[in-house]
Amino acid sequence: MGVSIVPTLKVLKPAARIVLVALVGIAVGYFANAAFFPGTKPEQPIAFSHRIHAGDNEIPCLYCHVQARRSISAGVPSVNKCMGCHAEVAADRPQVALLTNYWENREPISWIKVHDLPDFVHFTHKRHVAAGIECQTCHGPVETMEVVSREAPVKMGLCLDCHRKNEVQYGTDCWTCHK
Amino acid sequence: MANVDRREFLRLVGAGGVGAGAGFMLAESIKHPVEYLIPYPVPPEEFSPGIATWYNSVCGMCPAGCGISVRTREGRAKKIEGNPLHPVNQGKLCALGHAGLQVLYNPDRLTGPMIQNGERGADEFVKTTWEDGLSRTADRLAAARQDGIYFLTQGVRGHLANLFELFMGELSSDRLLHYDFAHPHALYAANKRLFGEHQLPYYDIRNTRYLLSFGADYLTNWLSPVHHSLGFGHSRHGNDGVRGRFVQIEPRMSISGAAADEWIPARPGTEGFLALSVAHRIVADGHYEGDDAGEWRKALSAWSPGRAASLTGVSEATISRLAREFARADPALAIGGGAAANHTNGVDNLVAVSALNYLVGNIGKPGGVVFNPEPVTGASAIDRQANYRTMQKLVEDARDGKIDVLIVNNTNPAFSLPLASGFREAMAAIPTIVSLSSFIDETTLMADVLLPSHTYLEGWADDMPEPGVGFPVGAISQPVVAPLYNSRSTGDIVLDLSGKLGFNEAIPWTSMEDVLKDGWRRIYERGAPEPGDFDSFWRDVLVSGVWGENVRRGDSVTIAPGAIEGMAVSEPRLAGESGDYPFILHPYLSSSMYDGRGANLPWMQELPDPMTSIVYGTWVEMNPVTAKEMGLTDGDLVTVTSGTGSIEAPVVVFPAIMPDVVAMPIGQGHDALGRYARNRGANPIEILAPETDSASGNLATSATRVALAPTGRRATLVKTGGESRQLGRGIVQSTGSRSSRGHSAKLNSIPIVVEVAESAVVESA
Repeated sequence: MGVSIVPTLKVLKPAARIVLVALVGIAVGYFANAAFFPGTKPEQPIAFSHRIHAGDNEIPCLYCHVQARRSISAGVPSVNKCMGCHAEVAADRPQVALLTNYWENREPISWIKVHDLPDFVHFTHKRHVAAGIECQTCHGPVETMEVVSREAPVKMGLCLDCHRKNEVQYGTDCWTCHK
Repeated sequence: MANVDRREFLRLVGAGGVGAGAGFMLAESIKHPVEYLIPYPVPPEEFSPGIATWYNSVCGMCPAGCGISVRTREGRAKKIEGNPLHPVNQGKLCALGHAGLQVLYNPDRLTGPMIQNGERGADEFVKTTWEDGLSRTADRLAAARQDGIYFLTQGVRGHLANLFELFMGELSSDRLLHYDFAHPHALYAANKRLFGEHQLPYYDIRNTRYLLSFGADYLTNWLSPVHHSLGFGHSRHGNDGVRGRFVQIEPRMSISGAAADEWIPARPGTEGFLALSVAHRIVADGHYEGDDAGEWRKALSAWSPGRAASLTGVSEATISRLAREFARADPALAIGGGAAANHTNGVDNLVAVSALNYLVGNIGKPGGVVFNPEPVTGASAIDRQANYRTMQKLVEDARDGKIDVLIVNNTNPAFSLPLASGFREAMAAIPTIVSLSSFIDETTLMADVLLPSHTYLEGWADDMPEPGVGFPVGAISQPVVAPLYNSRSTGDIVLDLSGKLGFNEAIPWTSMEDVLKDGWRRIYERGAPEPGDFDSFWRDVLVSGVWGENVRRGDSVTIAPGAIEGMAVSEPRLAGESGDYPFILHPYLSSSMYDGRGANLPWMQELPDPMTSIVYGTWVEMNPVTAKEMGLTDGDLVTVTSGTGSIEAPVVVFPAIMPDVVAMPIGQGHDALGRYARNRGANPIEILAPETDSASGNLATSATRVALAPTGRRATLVKTGGESRQLGRGIVQSTGSRSSRGHSAKLNSIPIVVEVAESAVVESA
């Protein structure tokens, strides 16, 4: 052959270093995002601490998350549920003052969802609670959390592992969850 | 590594920084977006989040009155199903019923009272308050002359019909009209003439072994199609091991025709001749042995099959065979509708069809014609049904300045009357038009004041279905969601108006719910042991969604005096000369649009027509031989012109239609009714000639002659089905075929035989 590619490559050599650094930069940026900003522990409108309520005061999960036993969604307590205690209890604390403000304006609190499944997944709390599965199995040690964080990876593998181990009827059927 | 100078270093830092930024944003962009969990400040008592609540109610999409069960989640209606407990539909529901959700959540719904701010019909409505809208209306009503107020409503029954009567009575006006395009006027008149009966009987398709249908598309839109579909299925599965046989006689194969065992084409308007000749054979062959056999023989003597063959296009042999099969099947049932009913001799045709039922002795028997007991309430509505003649009188009264106020309630004559009726122009002469409709359709567009009603899923009403199921049935239509907008229940609007007009003595109720409770208290007392227990009765009726009474008609029904001697069918009249207008136009109710009301529901637009699989359009069906002669194929745009108008539509080559008949579905061609309905397709009703049946005043919809002319342009037919021919793929299997005579055309596996003589018979394999 009369034409060689080597001279072209030599010309591009300086650019190669820049491209290499850029690619390394992309990788660093990507994994930095995943490491430092995973979104698994969002800051909520009120700094509600499960450690105080579910841990120290041993309030059962189902006292606030009422629907878990009978509905597809566990539900988040309505503002008047909180006020049931906090009309009197710790009313002077700043976070409780925030809560009381919501109540007085009859304004709902926009909690950020931590355990969020995609829309194409059908998950029902009712069946799992009825099966006797502890909330902590999927949600982690919530009663020790100051801020709720997503401990378990909410991916299909988690569901299948448990369904296989416990030999759930139709547990590995696509239609069970994807309907 | 080679030497890096400062410039190089800066470039590398920059590249690294930009790369890191890009990588970060890439990770950010593929993250799941943030979702919120927002609880109530105070949780509602009516529902629990995540748990569905079902409400039973009554479907309001057509006059059949099926019971529905609506699944609601967090106060939103999610799915409409049929109510398994309701005897009319027994858990099933047609497509239009399911699309009720799209009526409720339609973006083009009227959200509150409005006033026309521009010229009439300019669609420049501005919002106003209920107080303002009601006051304006009440003032105009108070100032009107006696009989100067017209109330034009869609057909309603039950206590709402009673309320309308009371209201109009207080207003000193007799002009209460229930107007539905598809109301079976001819059928009512036929039952009146032959049996002296005021209401429709129940046609027991379920238990019949032989159904002879003269044009009635009973599976799609005749009377109570869901109920008939259930009956069809049951009859097919075999009553005592005998599989029901279904024969359909019509000029164009409808869906019922496609489901039938035998399809017989007959010229529109000649079905009565066919029925009389079948009756002639039944009596002549000695199958009828009643006391009045002599009278029948005399009355039918002129109607030999030979005479009918030349008039109808059906061969003598077929007529005789039908008579034999019909008489031998036990029980057999004959019904009539479609082109047979909606012609200039419609009542004559249907009387002849009803006579067949009498002659085979199925009146009052299972599998036959069962007359209903008196409706529990709302019977006055039957007399208020407006036929074309009544509407013509309305138009004349408007032109003569006799109408002061026109109140319109969810009916659309500006769309469903032919242009030749002059209805649209006549509206211009009416000083005040108030509309209670939920949508701005063609008629409501011409209104001055809009007082929008709730949809049937948000308001209170009740219904006693007609023609019922042989015993009294009633159901309450209750709200399944809180009202979405600032509309009101139709009954409440009337109550508000009557309150403003001071009618408190005759109309003492303050809400439609009270009207219903009062009315149903009387129903409860019809057979109740303890008067104090009405509240649990009311709750039971709401929870189950239906009420019934085990009461049947005891008396036997007899032929009205003079009906036998008067048995005759007049010649059908067609508007237009055959030379100028060679085709007969046969418009049929679309299975998805019904009479046009489904056009603003996207699900109905998307629903393929079962015979042609076309969506989102109008088309004109013509016979393949005719199409070939005219050099037309699928998609060629043609003008369809009658003596009174012209529309444009693409051609569909349709094998199962008579060569000189063209058919078009009704329902599209709106210029109002919202974004999904507007400017789509064409409305064949527009060009219909104002021909009526003198016996019933009904519009003869299949009596207009038209001419077709190619425009040279083409349209793409949007259809879900592809090729309509098998092309050797063996998709449709048949079990043998009849012999063919003369020339024959094979299409799919149905050999179409065109006999060389004048008659044309299609026999399915």
